[in-house]
Amino acid sequence: MAVMNAHEARMKRQLLVILLPSMLLLLAFVVYPAIYSVYLSFTNEALTGAGALRPRFVGIRNYARLLNDAKFWNSLLVTFFFVVGSAIIGQFVLGLVAAMALGRSIKFGRIFSSMILLPNAAPEVVAGFMWISMLAGGDNATLSRIVAFFGISPSDWLNTFPLTMIIIVNTWRGIATAMILLMAGLSTIPKEIYEAARMDGATSTQMFRRITLPLMMPTILLYMLISAVSTIAVFGMVYALTRGGPGGATELVSIYIYNQSFTAYQLGYGAAVAVVVLLISVLIGIGYVKAMKVEV
Amino acid sequence: MAAISPVESANKAKGDLLAYATLSIISIFCAIPFFWVFLASLDGNAQLFLRWPDQWTLDNYLKIFVQEDGGKWLFNSLLIVGSTTALVMVLAGLGGYALSRTTAWWKLPFLYGILLIRVLPPTALVVPLYKILLSMNLAEAAVLRPIFGSSTRAIMKWTGFIDGYLGIILVLTAMQLPLALWIMKTFFDGLPRDYEEAALMDGATMVQRIRRVLVPLALPGLAAAGLFSFISAWGDFLLPLTFLSSPELQPLPLGLFRAYLRVNTVDYGFLAALAFIYLLPAVIAFGFARKFLVQTFAGGVKG
Amino acid sequence: MITLNNVRKFYGSLEVIKGVDITVEDGEFAVFVGPSGCGKSTLLRMIAGLEGIDDGDLVLNGKRMNDVPPDQRGIAMVFQSYALYPHMTVAENIGFSLSLKKVPAADIRKQVEGVAEILQLTDYLNRRPGALSGGQRQRVAIGRAIIKKPSLILFDEPLSNLDSALRVQMRAELQRLHRELKATVVYVTHDQVEAMTMADKIVVLNKGMVAQQGAPMELYHKPANEFVATFIGSPKMNVVAASAKRNGSVVRIESPVGLGLDVTDENGRIPDGPVRIGARPEHMRLAGEGAGNFVTEVSLVERLGVETYLTVGRPDEPLIVRTEGDMMLRPGDRISLNIDPDVCHVFNAAGDVILPARVS
Repeated sequence: MAVMNAHEARMKRQLLVILLPSMLLLLAFVVYPAIYSVYLSFTNEALTGAGALRPRFVGIRNYARLLNDAKFWNSLLVTFFFVVGSAIIGQFVLGLVAAMALGRSIKFGRIFSSMILLPNAAPEVVAGFMWISMLAGGDNATLSRIVAFFGISPSDWLNTFPLTMIIIVNTWRGIATAMILLMAGLSTIPKEIYEAARMDGATSTQMFRRITLPLMMPTILLYMLISAVSTIAVFGMVYALTRGGPGGATELVSIYIYNQSFTAYQLGYGAAVAVVVLLISVLIGIGYVKAMKVEV
Repeated sequence: MAAISPVESANKAKGDLLAYATLSIISIFCAIPFFWVFLASLDGNAQLFLRWPDQWTLDNYLKIFVQEDGGKWLFNSLLIVGSTTALVMVLAGLGGYALSRTTAWWKLPFLYGILLIRVLPPTALVVPLYKILLSMNLAEAAVLRPIFGSSTRAIMKWTGFIDGYLGIILVLTAMQLPLALWIMKTFFDGLPRDYEEAALMDGATMVQRIRRVLVPLALPGLAAAGLFSFISAWGDFLLPLTFLSSPELQPLPLGLFRAYLRVNTVDYGFLAALAFIYLLPAVIAFGFARKFLVQTFAGGVKG
Repeated sequence: MITLNNVRKFYGSLEVIKGVDITVEDGEFAVFVGPSGCGKSTLLRMIAGLEGIDDGDLVLNGKRMNDVPPDQRGIAMVFQSYALYPHMTVAENIGFSLSLKKVPAADIRKQVEGVAEILQLTDYLNRRPGALSGGQRQRVAIGRAIIKKPSLILFDEPLSNLDSALRVQMRAELQRLHRELKATVVYVTHDQVEAMTMADKIVVLNKGMVAQQGAPMELYHKPANEFVATFIGSPKMNVVAASAKRNGSVVRIESPVGLGLDVTDENGRIPDGPVRIGARPEHMRLAGEGAGNFVTEVSLVERLGVETYLTVGRPDEPLIVRTEGDMMLRPGDRISLNIDPDVCHVFNAAGDVILPARVS
């Protein structure tokens, strides 16, 4: 092993010192709570009732309970549809279309992309309110008036199609992220390859299917990972819109955790659900790594 | 690629038309909800649904600052998020530099740890975080009370962990650090060591090297990290909701939310104007952050 | 046979190709050469169909090709960066054009294997471009081109991405391939060495116009203008300003650099007054004291053993002399050079040759 001279040792120490504040903050406010959360999930801690006075270790009872809890499975199902509908399908397709359209040399590119970025710039709460205006209010809601223009009869959107609505809202919010990531991926494909394909006689469809799509796979997979994980974490916007209702129809798992912890005051149980969500996210991460290995 | 044959030219024209059409539809879809916020905020008789105002007025905006606590909300948001951003920039700047230049054994686990952290749903962290901050708060009160007696309450408003500026700033900073550290580390990775080595040969200490050589060079990265942190912290709703309860400390998202929850009829004009004020800094920051977005993502795609 | 008739191209209002006439015979290896920005790559892409032709005609084998899409011209192109599909294997890359036309897989296989054999790529058929060396990648690009059995193959600076040792090797390879395939080739490069060694015919381009076209040695011995004279041949031909004065059938040409010689001009082509005179470094001989027609001072001596390059003349107007063998001169030495008037080229002020060299 190489011997470090005094100078190098001092450098190493200095680097550690300037990293220390960040590490401390992260340890205290992120890592420790996460670990504590795991611990909590094995207790029956609560803010009222028996668990408040004398919280004790109860082993895997919380986990057994959630396996039997219909509302928990409902929240997983809702979250699944939410993620697939908005991130995997909605944002991805619209983002890809926008990315490819902007890749052609057309005018007003900046105006289009600025408008598409707007939803992402809006803070969660405001985004929630804007869509309340769009969706609530029966016949007068903006969406109602738009579909009436096409001859479809409006309904009380948030109560009739709650899950569909939040999928649309989240799609609206995330198109920009998909678009930017996919544009970055598209830009890594050298133009000359398309010219070579043109000389080989490929049509636009053939170029898309056999060149663009395969070369974009790493980017697409990365996008799927990032968007799936961050969509699972969506809370504020949906909470402001529906509070998880009606009747749990839009109770995402993040809202379920919130309700359990702060409304039902079942802290231990809420923590157990959170740990399950963490495991699911880690599984998605592993799935991504596997898929990338196959790809490359 | 130039179109040569008439067939190719026609195809290109068709493709361009399709591009314009789809982009228009998507852009309008994205922009529509904003119309209500803008129009209703200027509407003397605003409703929940979208309508052309029959009575244009700026009263709603005035109401925010005169009748309600809009000024306080805005001040709190600016103070909290501004301090967070500044703190993040300093810590991530230094930390990112250390992460880039160090070869220590803890480098790789630390980086993977950061990635893993970002996978946690925030709602999962809130409860343990509350307990931790509560105990820190109690400990702090126990220390301060003997010294300051009755004014402890007032001091804790600033230095407390629950219901105090210090706590919310530190927690928000911790939330933004993973991404900010990553951005700065990647940035410093791309910066050749020549500048620091030259400064080293000139005899500069680490503090001098940082202040006089690295900070000027790091400005683009700091700007990107700062903007992203600002936007994320500005929009954060869950953390203020959990940790701030006194009315004097409420930032904009909570003011907005509470205004909506009022028992008597909701004043939509007021709501829209408040939403617009809340919206504006985020959109402006986003405008600046645009050019950094592609760079950051492109780096991630390659790496 | 390929013909470009008065071809023009505009970028907006800027004319980049200004009326170009070029003919390439079947089986010829034609090289388009010129400095950056001369339009050689643009011309190549116009022939390929990747850029449009604004005026004039492109005729291939008797058919006007201006409006024909690139894949229907019977042309294949090897790009500068090779443009190989990174996610496909070598076999898939080569066979791509066939798979687009839904040729049965067994057929594609056979043709790919045939091509791979010619190019010695048989061992690499299942590799991806990322796992190949530069020379191998280039061969795959060539394979992708020749499998289409094109009547014309276009090369866009194919050797510029290779290191110099590999470049020499690939030059030989490409010439061998050309002989084997008996294909017509249009090859673009900025390197005049590649042009001189590989071409049957060279087209020198300058600022969107053809400066001269012909066989390599024709351009070397009989350049039509100063541009071609100084572009072809390395080191460059020395060209200096001089003044001419007729004295019967002989013209006395004198230059302030220290040059004075008599050129035989029976046909009276050189007018009195300012001219430019050029002589190649290899045509300047050292003369004894007081015996030469060019007296000058040495400023730099580069000894390579087999030959020596002397930089002479004023610092702002350096001239190069090439002598055989090792010459042990030093900077500051005054020397006498003898230039045979018959190997000089005389140009007018506009750069056109008015009296070419009489002897080679």
